[in-house]
Amino acid sequence: MEHSASAMHQSQQHAAKAGQPWLQLESIGKRFGSFQALQDVALQIRPGEIQCLLGENGAGKSTLCNLIFGVHEPTAGQMLLDGGVYQPQGPADAFAQGIAMVHQHFSLVSDLSVVDNLLLGQAHGFLRRGAMADRVARLAEQYGLQLDPHALISTLSVGERQRVEIVKCLMREPRLLVLDEPTAVLLPDEIDALLRVCRRVAAQGCSVLLVTHKLAEIKQVADRVTVLRGGRIVAHSEHPADELDALVQAMIQHAPDSPARPAAAASRSPRLQDEVLQVDGLGVTDVQGVTRLDNFTLVLNRGEIIGVAGVEGNGQSELASVLSGMSSPSRGRFFINGEELSGASPQAVTRAGVGVVPEDRHATGCITDLSLAENIFLNRLHEFQRWGCLDRAAMRAAASELMRRFDVRAASVDSRFGGLSGGNQQKAVLARELTLRNLTCLIASQPTRGLDVGAVQAVYGHIRAARDQGVGVLLISSELDELLTVADRIVVLYRGRIMGSCPAQPDQRARIGAMMAGQTP
Amino acid sequence: MSWEMMAVFIGSTIRLAAPLLLSATGELVSQRAGVLNMSLEGMMLTGAFAGALASWYTGNPLIGLLFGTLAALPVALLQAFFSITLKANQIVTGIGINILALGATTLAYREIFGSRSSEAIPGLSKWSPPVLRDIPLWGDQVFDQVWLLYLGGLIILLTALVMHRTALGLALHACGAEPRAVDKSGLSVARLRYLAVLFSGLMAGLAGCFISIGDIHTFTEGMTSGAGYLAIAAIIFGNWKLGRMVLACLLFGAAAALKFFLPAIGIQVPNALLIMLPYVLALIAVAGLIGRQTAPGSLAQPYSRS
Amino acid sequence: MSLSFLQRVPQPLLRPFIPLTAVLIALLFGVALVAATGASVSEALGAFAEGAWGSPYAIAASINRSLVFALVGIGFVLAERARLINVGGEGQIAVGGIAATAVSLYGGVADLPMGLAFILPLLAAALAGGLWGGLPGVLKVKAGTNEVISTLMLSFIGIWLLYWCVQSSALLRQPMSNSGTLPESLEIPSSTMLPFFFGDPSMPLHVGLPAVLVIGPLVALVLGRTLFGMHLRSVGLNQQAAHRAGMPIARTLILAMFIAGALGGLAGGFMLQGEQYSLKAGFSSGFGFDGLVVGLLARGSIAGVFAGALLFGFLRSGGIYMEMVAQVPSALVLVVQGVIILTLAAVTLINRRGEAV
Repeated sequence: MEHSASAMHQSQQHAAKAGQPWLQLESIGKRFGSFQALQDVALQIRPGEIQCLLGENGAGKSTLCNLIFGVHEPTAGQMLLDGGVYQPQGPADAFAQGIAMVHQHFSLVSDLSVVDNLLLGQAHGFLRRGAMADRVARLAEQYGLQLDPHALISTLSVGERQRVEIVKCLMREPRLLVLDEPTAVLLPDEIDALLRVCRRVAAQGCSVLLVTHKLAEIKQVADRVTVLRGGRIVAHSEHPADELDALVQAMIQHAPDSPARPAAAASRSPRLQDEVLQVDGLGVTDVQGVTRLDNFTLVLNRGEIIGVAGVEGNGQSELASVLSGMSSPSRGRFFINGEELSGASPQAVTRAGVGVVPEDRHATGCITDLSLAENIFLNRLHEFQRWGCLDRAAMRAAASELMRRFDVRAASVDSRFGGLSGGNQQKAVLARELTLRNLTCLIASQPTRGLDVGAVQAVYGHIRAARDQGVGVLLISSELDELLTVADRIVVLYRGRIMGSCPAQPDQRARIGAMMAGQTP
Repeated sequence: MSWEMMAVFIGSTIRLAAPLLLSATGELVSQRAGVLNMSLEGMMLTGAFAGALASWYTGNPLIGLLFGTLAALPVALLQAFFSITLKANQIVTGIGINILALGATTLAYREIFGSRSSEAIPGLSKWSPPVLRDIPLWGDQVFDQVWLLYLGGLIILLTALVMHRTALGLALHACGAEPRAVDKSGLSVARLRYLAVLFSGLMAGLAGCFISIGDIHTFTEGMTSGAGYLAIAAIIFGNWKLGRMVLACLLFGAAAALKFFLPAIGIQVPNALLIMLPYVLALIAVAGLIGRQTAPGSLAQPYSRS
Repeated sequence: MSLSFLQRVPQPLLRPFIPLTAVLIALLFGVALVAATGASVSEALGAFAEGAWGSPYAIAASINRSLVFALVGIGFVLAERARLINVGGEGQIAVGGIAATAVSLYGGVADLPMGLAFILPLLAAALAGGLWGGLPGVLKVKAGTNEVISTLMLSFIGIWLLYWCVQSSALLRQPMSNSGTLPESLEIPSSTMLPFFFGDPSMPLHVGLPAVLVIGPLVALVLGRTLFGMHLRSVGLNQQAAHRAGMPIARTLILAMFIAGALGGLAGGFMLQGEQYSLKAGFSSGFGFDGLVVGLLARGSIAGVFAGALLFGFLRSGGIYMEMVAQVPSALVLVVQGVIILTLAAVTLINRRGEAV
């Protein structure tokens, strides 16, 4: 996609673009154990540019940032800074070289003021809060960062907290500011404000590396865009505003080795029209008053798989949490087989025949220190009660049976659950949730995350089999390929709202991608 | 009730609150930095014993004070090593240290003092500030106190200054609230926490000395009798704020003074109720019945990077 | 890590190995201290043995003590299964003692048949302890109060509540006949005293022994084999996953604290009705904290509680006798206990790190 020359539509940045890159990454690779996070990555940072790093979750964006910031060391390739070798041993080295980074997770002390947070680790002896407040005010003016220097962090919105983190970086007068998915947590007007700040930072000569997966932002600020997928650079554009479509394609392109879609499933349409799950105007507002899920309405029929697509953090977790009874909706209702369950306990949801595969298996889906058998029956241990005691023999026998049916591989049913591979753990969770006696509906969140190819296929098989037996499945995933392979219909979430829906056909890929990036269809 | 009795009451309130004030100030710094130092009682007892021993042996209460204060440091170091380096359960460690200190001081006391146990020990002298000492009645009854009390007041003011106005205080505060942020800012969480626990040891040593060579001029087995736990209750009741903690200590001191004062003016209130009061207040506070409790976010949680 | 060889030892062998090491180190330390005080080690140890198990009476006294430690320890282990630390044994013993005294003296139970005369006060003691322990459970669920702080505060409140009861004649203090009347309750009626196991005052083992021998295995059964036991474990290991699996989190936490408290209260009943017979200030005498240590030592095993309880029971008895005969202060026992707790904390952690690698 490297075009030679094009119209000089953004004169100001062009001077910067012409500058020589001062930070260069040459065929960088990073391996975590057996997992190749990055491979053969080349990247140049030029003075005063805004470069966007685009890619889906797990594409390796954060890993790349952490390499530059010295959190990790590359396992292959080298980094050059001003022509010399750059081998940061930690964030301190990166800071010393003028590289600052704003992480996704802030490290602020919430019961201290903005000024105190900025002084932490920087000051000695008596605190000069007044001087710091003046400095904050100057920075605020210079970059357009609105901030009350004396406010307690706990009273600030997420956007304001992020501004504190940015100020923290800017006080070190960096040459490169790395922002790791800064807009994922922000409201629309906060995003605009942040992008304006980026512009002004770049205008002062500092380079900005902005990690994002939102095309609108790229259009607004990016001088150049690099697209990562599966740890490799798959596209690069010097004129991103003109090449958005091509960038989307590169970001979500169909991986050649992804499993073929079974023909039978492609043509199927819901045979039975009875509704198992009705969701009516569901909304979730978090403690900070930010709307995470907004007016989510959907009808799921028997024998149907609806995929919920969307870049992570667009309301999927809140949706799954409410539907599984783990939290109450702020607005709206939902029904299983006509029975209202809004705000009901997880127990009631399970009793109504809803199987749940939670997004975070280790936090919610299992108890790693219990045995495989205990985990397989975690939600119905009471069925094995006999004279007040648990009939462990019966439980083991029943667990062995499910192990066989769901192909869970472990030394025995008594094995510690945490010792199983991720794939076998997930199969065990499916074994538990899909064998609820009155199963009518399955809510599965990111069910194949972290699994190897074989396990992924097995999970797809089980979900399809459940569908074929008449179960309605809500499949929440950030993997578009997964949804296109398994689902019958796809709805796209963006900032907590349904952007649109379409049949799960491969030719819809571009359209879905655009909706995921926040463009109306 | 006469003015004189009032003055006596206020004087003894301050005297009885003094060991609480000293030890709670150190403990507050430690808890602010994230270490729930339950061995406060043991450290005080160690300080009380070592102070009495050195004062008796040398005949010089100043040397006693020095020795008593320093003797609490190894105990504090033990608590710090277990709870910061080994990341052990801070409460369990504290209880272990308290039992150990009670046993060790009792044992050593019997061995060293033996039959001379009732012997008076040279104690710290009293002092009252100029001008104030000339106020009739109050000069004698309220302001004429062991000079260590005035030193303690000074230390509390200095502590407030350091905690609120210096980089060190800021870092200590952040250590208990959000150690990750401290770590990321380049400071050492472990070093700061060690410092805080050692400071609490120093203060507990002073508090112990106040009891043995300041107030009572002798040592008896287990003589701190729960003052360390009471100091922790004062911190809880004071909602981890220095000013409110000082008031809580004075309130607890007043409750203790009432034990002697109420019978003197003919009011019969069961002693037990007065002794129990601080714990009941602390329980009510920690149950969230009087405003929101704002304990340091990472109190009693060992910090590790991963 | 120098202790990495431990990883190759099978777990079942390792479990008792660690507390045993801690105890051994502490005991050696204790012997060294005896030598350091200049007392004759053989004489001291002889006195210790005499006091601990030298006569049927000594054995019975040691075992009766152990029963108290065992009950508190069992309760500690049960609550610990749900990751709750019950530091309130001392207060639970105290309120148990108060309830047992009140019911024995003024509950009109003295003439009841079939052992009800001593069983009802015991039940009252357990109920009182249960409420005293259950309160922190409720506070934890409703207000998120750290149970360590609340049980500790309630311990002191319980201790002074007892003090108040024996100081005030409106409560449990015996009627004042003259100025020398001690601040303690009347002696409880003999029908409310726990019957001796052998019916023989020279071997004063009371019926608490069979009771504890039933309660211990029963709790082990509950922990290992019942739904409630699974709930405790699950809630302790991963509350969120337990919630998702439909387990009753609040009820489990409160019930765990209630049972732990009830066992502490029952221990108080045993102390009153089996040993002291009248309520005095200082009634709980640190047994609650000792029981806590026993529970800690046991590392989650009821068998471990029994072993620790016996160890501490005999240690205490032997220590007291050692002081009387060999003039070695019984505070030595406290030192040994403190060293046991600290060594154990250190050794456990080193082992845990080994597992994590």
